[in-house]
Amino acid sequence: MHRSIQKKARNFEGLSNKFIISLSIIALISFLLAFFYIPIVRIFQTALSSDSGNGFQVFWETLSDPFNLKFLGFTLFQAFLSTVLCLLIGLPIGYFFAKYEFKGKKLIVNLLTIPFVLPPVIVLIGFTVTYGQGGWVNLLWQNITNSSNVLVAIDGTVQGIILAHVFYNLSVIIRLTIPAWQNIDNEQIEVSSTLGVGKSKTFQKIIFPQIKNAIISSSLLVFIYTFNSFAIVMKLGNFNFYTLEVLIYESFDLLKFSEGASLAVIQLVINSLVIILYLVVERKSRKMAEGKEKGLKTERLSLKGKNWKSIVRISLSIVFVFIVILFSFAPIIAIFVKSFIPKSSVDSPFWGYSQIFTQQKITPLNTNTIRLFGNTLLFATVAAVISLILSVLIVFVLRNRYHSIKKYQRSVSESLVSYLIILPMATSSITLGLGLYLNYSGLNSYYNSVWIFIIMSHVLISIPFVTRSILVAYNRIDVELLNVASSLGASRVMVFRKIEFPLIKRGIIVGGIFSFAISLGEFGATFLLARANYETLSIGIYNLLGSQTLQISTAMASVLILITALCFYLINKFGDIELKV
Amino acid sequence: MVNVKLNNLSMKYEKKLIIENFEIEILDGELLVLLGASGCGKTSLLKIIAGIIEPEEGTVIFDDEDITNYTPQKRKIGYVPQAQVLFPHMKVEQNISFGLEAHKLSKELIKERITWIAEITQIQDLLNRFPSEISGGQKQRVALARALAIKPNLLLLDEPLSSIDASGRESLALTIRRIQKETGITTLYVTHNQEESRLISDRVALMYDGKIQQIGSVIEVDRNPRNYLIAKIMGSSNVWPVDYLETNNGNSLVSTPIGLITLPYEVNRKITGIRIPPSSFKIVSTLSEDSKVIEFIGRIKSIIEKDDENFRIVVDLKDAHLEYIKVDCNKEMLNIVSAANKEIQLQVLPSEVILI
Repeated sequence: MHRSIQKKARNFEGLSNKFIISLSIIALISFLLAFFYIPIVRIFQTALSSDSGNGFQVFWETLSDPFNLKFLGFTLFQAFLSTVLCLLIGLPIGYFFAKYEFKGKKLIVNLLTIPFVLPPVIVLIGFTVTYGQGGWVNLLWQNITNSSNVLVAIDGTVQGIILAHVFYNLSVIIRLTIPAWQNIDNEQIEVSSTLGVGKSKTFQKIIFPQIKNAIISSSLLVFIYTFNSFAIVMKLGNFNFYTLEVLIYESFDLLKFSEGASLAVIQLVINSLVIILYLVVERKSRKMAEGKEKGLKTERLSLKGKNWKSIVRISLSIVFVFIVILFSFAPIIAIFVKSFIPKSSVDSPFWGYSQIFTQQKITPLNTNTIRLFGNTLLFATVAAVISLILSVLIVFVLRNRYHSIKKYQRSVSESLVSYLIILPMATSSITLGLGLYLNYSGLNSYYNSVWIFIIMSHVLISIPFVTRSILVAYNRIDVELLNVASSLGASRVMVFRKIEFPLIKRGIIVGGIFSFAISLGEFGATFLLARANYETLSIGIYNLLGSQTLQISTAMASVLILITALCFYLINKFGDIELKV
Repeated sequence: MVNVKLNNLSMKYEKKLIIENFEIEILDGELLVLLGASGCGKTSLLKIIAGIIEPEEGTVIFDDEDITNYTPQKRKIGYVPQAQVLFPHMKVEQNISFGLEAHKLSKELIKERITWIAEITQIQDLLNRFPSEISGGQKQRVALARALAIKPNLLLLDEPLSSIDASGRESLALTIRRIQKETGITTLYVTHNQEESRLISDRVALMYDGKIQQIGSVIEVDRNPRNYLIAKIMGSSNVWPVDYLETNNGNSLVSTPIGLITLPYEVNRKITGIRIPPSSFKIVSTLSEDSKVIEFIGRIKSIIEKDDENFRIVVDLKDAHLEYIKVDCNKEMLNIVSAANKEIQLQVLPSEVILI
């Protein structure tokens, strides 16, 4: 009797936890089903069934179409080339920042990360202003050489696409390899040299094996990002070059849904393979970094008291880093400058800014700019809140202490959640948009509720990043801390309120702002889904890219850059940015 | 405070039983040291008692109450895990008041308790600091204070000295001993270090193979280790395992790593090892060739000063590779043999050899 009452007491605590976890799992699975898995199934259905009867016919025709095959090859090729170039530039820079100490180092590393968090449309407009036909690089070149030849051509060329991708993703390599370099224990190098091993052999046998996984995992990320590149290739490819992502969009635009869905299936398969590979390598590289206390010996960046060889080496490094900084900032600065240059001398430098804050509709746009701003900020806020809630639930399911300590294994439903969240990481934004469109456009209310689907696509895109931000914070909590709290008498709710929440608060803030910033600049899914009144700033800027004056679009872009930079500043203030998924 | 009984406890980890039919009784108010090698299941046992993990089988009894199915919250146990896990975002004072708030004590009572426990654990000056601002030894005292503030039924300490530097260990051990005696809280103290059990335990329980192998006061266990392994774990000097034993004509021949030892009586029980106390040896100038004494030849490896008068020398045995004997001697005797690396002869009476 006595014992059964106690059993109930214990069960109550267990039950309340079980209840919370079950509810979370139900919420997560419903969300994923409604906004991801069912739309994805719809894509497969559309790809593999057609009116003509033979289910696989369209799929095989799409797959064997020489045009599609050519650009599948191009998609892989440009992603590979972009990744290699990012590595060639990023690795030495990562080493430079790991090895040398100097004032403002952290600031520079952070500033170098800004391109990565910029919306793709900003990169486009920055590149147009900087390297475009009338861009200042070419103008400068024409003035110097006194000819009408251009130095760089980015419109409809491979170099334009690659240049933009390197600009965009360089910081992924730099940021993710710095810790790998820093983690190399200097004493290992010293021991190696006392054992009589030369420098190159030490690098080959001691250093490289330890940074290898970080290099591979960051490269795979860059590959994924560039493989799924949309806005940049759509604009700079200029109908000469396509990535799969652009081809899917084009098919959608021409109402060839089966063809688009078939391409999306191929893209999804490739993405999944790369993501799985990435997760495997990432786990290895994390293991490599575990339990290391000592790191690389850092050196003050100074030329004093060095021999001429070192002076030359250090000077060259500084010049190299300086060039990369210039490369990373020129487009951003160019946008700001351009936004103040009026198209004629009678106009005010603030004309562009005054235009975007009027109710007046600017010609190529479907709606006025105030509405664009409003949509952008509203979508970003709602998306951030939803992503945060779902991500906290994911973290709680993945780190359910009560289950793991009792049974030493996860329940099936918990493991299911951990697998279910992998596939969304492998899905491009156009595919997400396409799935949502195919599944829900039949609804009567679709066109009035399209904002819901835009927000949900933003949520799906940002969840991996938000979850990771929170998970990183949560993983730092020692489980024993929670055990002690329980044994001191704290209830499940008190443990969350007083221990877990304060300790992951920063992760939540970082994740929330990150999600806000991602939604702010999201292009692909929004571009595919948005109709007139639900367009965002990114779409507006893109639509203005072809217009006569860039003053309005650069003014809009400047505001977007400032908001993004503010987000980035706040993220750095509260924690660290997670470039990884 | 309570008397704690663990009955027939079993626990699996990754399908392997690491604790099997475990039985132990911790007497009301005593400090019991659970001594065992790393990974023998000591920490899991503490977690079972604290209610953090569930046993596969068995019961935990406090006095006469079966608490096996109580939540950790209800057990009122002071649990101090191995790493000093203080809540990093709370000041020392808030760390201590956390458990008191969970138990819904009034504000005045919380204040009173904090003052009381801070004085006992000597952390009055640390109350306003964050865990990151205090030393390892101080953290351990705070963790102790936090656990004791709720006036627990039982205090569980998991290797409390393991992360403290050598110089602070002894004083912290004695502090724990003093606090335990002052508060009278039944305490289970887990460690792999036999020195700690010598310093603070009322009783010591030796654990391996998922079971308690022997339990008693340190002196009892030292005098009467149940087997060779226990003597080894207790860190006794001059213990050797026995390979085989032969008896004939009223004599016993014992094979050990230090050689064959002849004992003038028949041993009729199973023995696992022998021990010869360092004080039993005599340093002699010549060997007697007398079969009634056991003799060794070796070289002095090192000399350790115990105090002004007494020394312990470590002797490398000539006939047994890698084996050495510890011998106690006084200053006078040392003066005779003191030359380092000098060959010396040792004698011991067979009656001094303790069979384990």
